[in-house]
Amino acid sequence: MPGTVAQAGSASSGTYRASDIVKSYGSVPVLKGLSVSLHPGRIHTTMGENGAGKSTLFKVMAGLVQPNGGTLHLDDAPLLLSSPHEAHLHGIYLVPQEPALMPELTVAETMFVGQLPTTGRWRRIDWSAMRARAQEALHALGLDIDVDAQSRRLSIAQQQQVECAKALLRGCRVILFDEPTSPLTTHEVDRLFSTMRRLRGEGYTLAFISHRMDEVLDISDDISVLRDGALVDSVERPEFDRTRLLSQMVGREMRTIPRRSWSSATTEAVLTVDGLAHAPSFAEVGFTLHRGEILGLAGLVGAGRTEIAETIFGLRRCDAGSVVLDGAPITGLPTHEIIRKGLVYAPEDRARHGAVLPMTIAQNVSAGLIERVRRRWGLMDRDDEDRIGAEAVSQYRVRCAGTDQTLRELSGGNQQKVVFGKWMGLSPAVAILDEPTRGVDVGAKDEIYELIEARARAGTAILVISSEMEELVRLCDRILSIYEGRIVAELHGDGITPERLGRSYLSHAGLGAAA
Amino acid sequence: MSGGRNDVTARRGASRRLPLGNWERALLVLLVLLTLGLVAAVPGFYPGFGDFLALSENFLPFGLVALGLTTVILTGGIDLSVGTTASLAAIVMAELWTGLHLSIWIAALLGVASGALLGLVNGLIITRLRTEPLIATLATSFIYGSIATALAGDNPPSGFPDSFNRLGTGAIGGILPYQIVLFGVLAAFFSALISRSAFGRKVVMIGYNTEAARYAGIRVDRIVTLSYVISGTTAALAGIVLAAYYSAVRPDMGSILLLSTITTVVLGGVSIFGGDGSIAGVVIAVLLLGMLRQGMLIAGFSDMVTTMVTGAILLGAIALKNLFAGRGTGLATLLRRLRIRPAATT
Repeated sequence: MPGTVAQAGSASSGTYRASDIVKSYGSVPVLKGLSVSLHPGRIHTTMGENGAGKSTLFKVMAGLVQPNGGTLHLDDAPLLLSSPHEAHLHGIYLVPQEPALMPELTVAETMFVGQLPTTGRWRRIDWSAMRARAQEALHALGLDIDVDAQSRRLSIAQQQQVECAKALLRGCRVILFDEPTSPLTTHEVDRLFSTMRRLRGEGYTLAFISHRMDEVLDISDDISVLRDGALVDSVERPEFDRTRLLSQMVGREMRTIPRRSWSSATTEAVLTVDGLAHAPSFAEVGFTLHRGEILGLAGLVGAGRTEIAETIFGLRRCDAGSVVLDGAPITGLPTHEIIRKGLVYAPEDRARHGAVLPMTIAQNVSAGLIERVRRRWGLMDRDDEDRIGAEAVSQYRVRCAGTDQTLRELSGGNQQKVVFGKWMGLSPAVAILDEPTRGVDVGAKDEIYELIEARARAGTAILVISSEMEELVRLCDRILSIYEGRIVAELHGDGITPERLGRSYLSHAGLGAAA
Repeated sequence: MSGGRNDVTARRGASRRLPLGNWERALLVLLVLLTLGLVAAVPGFYPGFGDFLALSENFLPFGLVALGLTTVILTGGIDLSVGTTASLAAIVMAELWTGLHLSIWIAALLGVASGALLGLVNGLIITRLRTEPLIATLATSFIYGSIATALAGDNPPSGFPDSFNRLGTGAIGGILPYQIVLFGVLAAFFSALISRSAFGRKVVMIGYNTEAARYAGIRVDRIVTLSYVISGTTAALAGIVLAAYYSAVRPDMGSILLLSTITTVVLGGVSIFGGDGSIAGVVIAVLLLGMLRQGMLIAGFSDMVTTMVTGAILLGAIALKNLFAGRGTGLATLLRRLRIRPAATT
């Protein structure tokens, strides 16, 4: 495609505008008609919490996701992107957070996948030209990566840089980075930023996603803040204001989140975790959970919260520390014994871990403890299983046609209620709920919150992992902030406000990048 | 989503009482049609009730293997060593009978036990060494086969007591073959095991979603290992029955079992990916394939043609099943829509 490359490469401009973009998945709106505008020679940062819609916006702009409404304009010409390939033809390239290079190919090969240079009458692959051009593109970015190395030997940072070079090879002028810095070390972030500055100097249009405040302030020319799929603020250098950005990100309206006026928390310790570690995810995690208490674990995705829960639940090896449930150590016990001792865990990913979607409601409910179903001659009594299923259905208000309906046919919210029914039916001493409202529509969320609160009132100690601040603020008696596998802050009672919660780990994330 | 909120139970209609899904029912209709067709069209296929039932003695050993193999396949695994396990178990029995002068029945029991042990080895290799079932059981099938050959020597024992041979060819009152009784009892046992026992439930959960089973506190390794023990046991049992049928053992006698049995299990509607399937379907498939082969052989077709038809039936059945299950191509989804919609409104 030399023609295209020349054409796109020669374009000196590269103003890319997205206007009134609307996107929803099913009934869940993700982008509610927002507009951003990227300019050549500038770095545009999109900030926002998890779920604000940043990645979706970028995917729309890169042709990976088709919007339900809105328009894209490149240099004032309207643009319809039906695939990433088409976006590349127009000079728009998205560098994914964790690039999927083909692990067995060499760096040079991955860079030319889909457009291998050929030579001669038989269109043999021109290996030397390919290597030379790959080398050239990497040099242009000041990168020292061996073009003959196997892709899988590259670090994530290097893979991102190779992706960046791929964008240049394809003659792209608009380069979007989907949250590139979160898997990188400080040093690698510096390298990436110097690459980005170099490109900015050459007039490329750059956009990236981040929620590390310090790096955002450091590199951006323009900042857009997204919240709940809408643009809430848009500022240009030099009008950056850290406090304003943070509060915009967290949201004004969130200050008025109704917190429960009551608490069922007691002072009786049920679960004591001490010095728990699992390399490299987390270390020195210690906390106490009390009967009837709802304790939140806040933090960014990848902070190690799920790993902590899975280690307590016996799914992961425990490198150090101890877990004591009701006075008895359960450290390192297998999961089935931990369940019998009264600790349950509802994982984040229902489809993969939490439920068996092709099986029925009754079967999913009884799966938490199959031995609970009455048996005669070793055979499970189906009526008893139905009764257990029906009990969960009515208690957790699952909307379904019958207990023999498969979970696949239910909405996300109803699936989650079945998972709850499965575990809460055991009246556990401790329940760990990982992202309890993930994939659940807004109406069902409140119902799930009520179910959690009711369970706490019944004496279960509950540990909620959530990336939604609003959820934690609404539910929790106490919140621990996790950053990079360590507890960095604890909030309780009236001290729990969205602002403080946000700052407790976001500011830490910022400091982490600057250090 | 209609339906009461507080008084929900299973909507178990008439169809739910029968443990037969659509696939099983289609197979059953096919079996009846095929049998009637063969009775009508092939002279000598129905020489009398007793002889007609005795036809099953030619294929029920496959059914025994299929029952255990189904358990393994339901977990999402595969056992390629069933053939050589059957051979080795039969030879162990024969050698214990001649070498140690044990009673043939004691020797047979020990032969079955050796099958369980071979299955345990498979299960431990798969779960402890984290080996793919396909590779692990392929490897052990070679090993078990070689041991069988070595144990058998040049002149493997033959000429078992008549009382034992009746297991393969005898019939109660000259009408009801012992093989049918054995298979019937075991089929009922496995059906209950898979659909009604806690073990069976765990097998199915693992097959559908191993990770979810693990997160629900199911001891996945233990259940998987046990499924291979079961598969080894039924394969050994089939080997013993074959020995009684031939009144002889050979180190390669089980080799015909493997591919036919996989065919049967898949035709019976068991998903090769695990989770989905029933013993009822497998039992019907055993009879269907068995009757077809016997009918064709009696009608004078060569074994080659019969085998070819078996292959074609397997392909056709799987293609149909995938179309209706919505797996695979877009055409499948289209067909499924056309099929499901009218059904959903009734």
